[in-house]
Amino acid sequence: MPVRYSGAMRFWLGLAILAQGVWAADYVGSNVCRNCHPDIWSQFYRNPHYKSIASGKEKAENTGCEGCHGPGKDHIESGGDRNAIVGFADLAPDQVLNACLRCHVQTISRANIRRSEHTEQDVVCTNCHSVHNSKAPRFLLAKKQTDLCYSCHTSVRAQFSMPFKHRVNEGAIQCTDCHNPHGGFAATWRMAQRPQMLDRASGNEEPCLKCHIDKRGPFVFEHTAVRVDGCETCHNPHGSTNAKLLKRPVVFTVCLECHNGAGNFGRHGIGVITQDSTHNMTDPRYQNCTTCHVRIHGSNADANFLR
Amino acid sequence: MTSRCAFRHAVCMAAACCAWAQTPVAPSNEPTQGQGGDNASNYNIRQSFEAGYRWETTGGDFGMYQSTVNYTNGLRLLASSLDVQSRDGHGGFFDQIVLNTQGLGNDPYQFASLHIEKNRLYRYDLTWRSIAYVNPAATISFGEHAMDTIRHLQDQDLTLFPQSSLRFFLGYSRNTQSGPALTTQQLFDARGDEFPLFTNIRREQNEYRLGGEVRFAGFRLNVMHGWQDFKEDTPTDGTPLPQGNNPNDLTTLNSFQRSAPYHGTSPYWRGALFREGRFGEHRFWTMNALATYVAGQRGFVQDEFANGTSRIGALTQLQVVTLGNAQRPAFTGNFTFSLFPTSWITLTNQSSFYNIRMLGDSVYTQFTNGAQGTAVLPFTYLGIRTVANTTDAEIRVRPWFSVHAGYDFSYRLIRSVEGQTVVGNPLQEVTAEQTNQLHSGVLGFRLKPIASLTIRLDGELGRADHPIYPISEGNFQAFRGRIEWKHRSLRLSGYGRSDYNINSVSLSSFASHARQYGADASWAGNKWFSIDASYAKQHLYTLGGIDYFADRAEVTGESSLYISNIHTATLAARFNFKDKADISVGYSHVQDVGDGRAGPLGTGTLFVSGLVSVGSFQYTSQPALAAAQTFPLRFLSPMARISIRINNKVRWNAGYQYYGYAEDFSALQNYRAHTGYTSLAWSF
Repeated sequence: MPVRYSGAMRFWLGLAILAQGVWAADYVGSNVCRNCHPDIWSQFYRNPHYKSIASGKEKAENTGCEGCHGPGKDHIESGGDRNAIVGFADLAPDQVLNACLRCHVQTISRANIRRSEHTEQDVVCTNCHSVHNSKAPRFLLAKKQTDLCYSCHTSVRAQFSMPFKHRVNEGAIQCTDCHNPHGGFAATWRMAQRPQMLDRASGNEEPCLKCHIDKRGPFVFEHTAVRVDGCETCHNPHGSTNAKLLKRPVVFTVCLECHNGAGNFGRHGIGVITQDSTHNMTDPRYQNCTTCHVRIHGSNADANFLR
Repeated sequence: MTSRCAFRHAVCMAAACCAWAQTPVAPSNEPTQGQGGDNASNYNIRQSFEAGYRWETTGGDFGMYQSTVNYTNGLRLLASSLDVQSRDGHGGFFDQIVLNTQGLGNDPYQFASLHIEKNRLYRYDLTWRSIAYVNPAATISFGEHAMDTIRHLQDQDLTLFPQSSLRFFLGYSRNTQSGPALTTQQLFDARGDEFPLFTNIRREQNEYRLGGEVRFAGFRLNVMHGWQDFKEDTPTDGTPLPQGNNPNDLTTLNSFQRSAPYHGTSPYWRGALFREGRFGEHRFWTMNALATYVAGQRGFVQDEFANGTSRIGALTQLQVVTLGNAQRPAFTGNFTFSLFPTSWITLTNQSSFYNIRMLGDSVYTQFTNGAQGTAVLPFTYLGIRTVANTTDAEIRVRPWFSVHAGYDFSYRLIRSVEGQTVVGNPLQEVTAEQTNQLHSGVLGFRLKPIASLTIRLDGELGRADHPIYPISEGNFQAFRGRIEWKHRSLRLSGYGRSDYNINSVSLSSFASHARQYGADASWAGNKWFSIDASYAKQHLYTLGGIDYFADRAEVTGESSLYISNIHTATLAARFNFKDKADISVGYSHVQDVGDGRAGPLGTGTLFVSGLVSVGSFQYTSQPALAAAQTFPLRFLSPMARISIRINNKVRWNAGYQYYGYAEDFSALQNYRAHTGYTSLAWSF
């Protein structure tokens, strides 16, 4: 007579089994599963989880179908009763996370997954990954990566529709080039622990510097704004209606909002320096600041970024 | 519906229904059905190719088209994939090869990824990208900084023993940018003229990585050592136009040459330690610590020679020689501890440390008409040290109601030393030091009154006592709300976000108010039809005090008012006709309506004398400044694609996509582009 579980008890028991590997005698092996699930089994060798079967060294509770779905003996003896086996579609989000992290917690990129914003919002593994019906070539993603991200981050989709944008929709760049969907380490280069879920360049620097190598420096004369408040001081990283992803349509308004000499701002605390009197803002020449200040991200030859 | 069923539906929804990106019309998304592959030896091999011809015709500003879209005519391997899998997980040299490409054959955005793996022995990943970057920069610097460059990026990573307790990592990355560009140089003194010059960008970075990870006593220790070698050898030479941007000046330039090699390395160390532990069923804790150290250094020499006439008409030869080096050692650290005392409480505390020092010297020597000027040695130092701590709590009061709260504290110290001396003399230093403390708190809740409905609201309030810039966060607050309803294949969602920042000091103030809100609906209820539509509005209202000179008279007490109202709408629908044909249609529309005015405030249209009152604020009277306060434009792109199944292995595809870019106040950069393609997709 097979044991029957009902209600919440079934989930907790299932997870306890998964976590502790008890009742080893109830594991029947993946070969039994293929009798009723040939469609899944016939393609399972393509699945990264097939490694656990191929190795032949894993314990019963860590290998093949039962590695994730728990012992199959009762499920088989009951003639395929769904309630007699762990089905991920039936699990609560935290249970899904616990089940997957039994094996997958082991990398640095997932070191923050339990406390990540995604996890706190109940966006867990099976919301983005489809173990048996993946449509993506890698990582068992349920969809193309951008489509997955856009399905929740619709404001970001709007930003990538702008005329000037990083080429995410075009497939040249992916969201994960800059973000870690499994939760990132705190962004040390900014205050107040924001932004979150950003990936980082090698030295825990802004991810922009992964590609924009010429902006990294070091320079003898750094543009302080870049180092203190980061690239987003002047740029919108996703997309913009302004050229070069600037926050304003023309350069001089970007510059003048800081370089106004006001109050105790700036590195010397006496206000960010203003232009000198030779700059006649009624003359279009002076409305294009970077025509003279060509090395605006930093210079080795001139403190005013002229060369 | 039970919560279990609801979650099952949610999972299904994630797979079946999504918000589609308005991707370029090609490559096609419709897969062929010949996915069984061929067996060879112990491997199963699947391949697919989509090859075709892409075309475009553009009317208007082709430079702006290149800057925003850039697809051109020609034969392309639009997409391809190769998937080789060992059928028993015991292949010879490999168990899996996955190769994917996109846009090969001269598309502006080309991509390839390769993954090779031998179970338990090694895993190799390669990503290669080629991205064309064209920018006429018409609004940036009169078009005198136009660029037509190619960026190549590649990342290679090899992991040895990927499934063992002791793993090793080797990596190599290469990043290059090359191509012609324009730049400008200001000569011969601070009141001289600017001249456009030809330059040939040559930048290159190579990164080598070596690391390992070991598991012991439940901990994992991950250590990585890397070297980033960067060099830039961009020459600037040629014969420039003798007349610069200033027609009223006598300054001319007859020849110019500059060589400025800039080389250096940034070796770095990264160490991470992490562990997850349990102290009872469903009770556990996690910790991780990360530390990085980078010792960046660059050496440079610059030799610049200009020959022309000065602004008073005198023949002038100017040679500028600089040499020196710059260093930037940086140390950062993170420590995070999370406690899960029950399945419904999450407590997290994070601490981070950031210490970076930037210093360098640059001996500057100027020769004017052969006479050597005094060599000066400027020295700058900028040090930033930030310590931050965050505590967060997430409490699931009921399965349908959870609350989260958090408190952040950040402390930043900025030290600055600037000095300049004649070589051989003591340095005249100007030092400064300032601190900034930021306190912020977040509070929010998540409500799930019924299984298919999720409501989330949260807010953040922050105060900084010494922001470094007028636009930095001073007194800020943010509110976010999101509502989502999912039922089977139907998903409806809406969101809103509002950000305020006020940063005022005596005689100047900065205030920004950004609002975003939008809605999205998608439905994929049956096999033959699915639809997705979205609308988003982004509103930005920024008022910042400015100070400038007009005809040598300093203008103070004015503000720059920038208003942007960007509406974005997308629509995508797919039809499938009995598995014989697929039709996809899409539309993307972006429109910035600016501040609502019908024309620019500039000379000839409207000149406002004196200060103009806008509510309780006043903004600038200068036409040029006022005209730049809004930049209404329209960018739209409808597309349609048909994909017909010839047989299980072959599909024929054709598509058309239109791009229209139009600025309201000027037609100089407008364009209309018709693009399309036809292709055959073949898989086996």
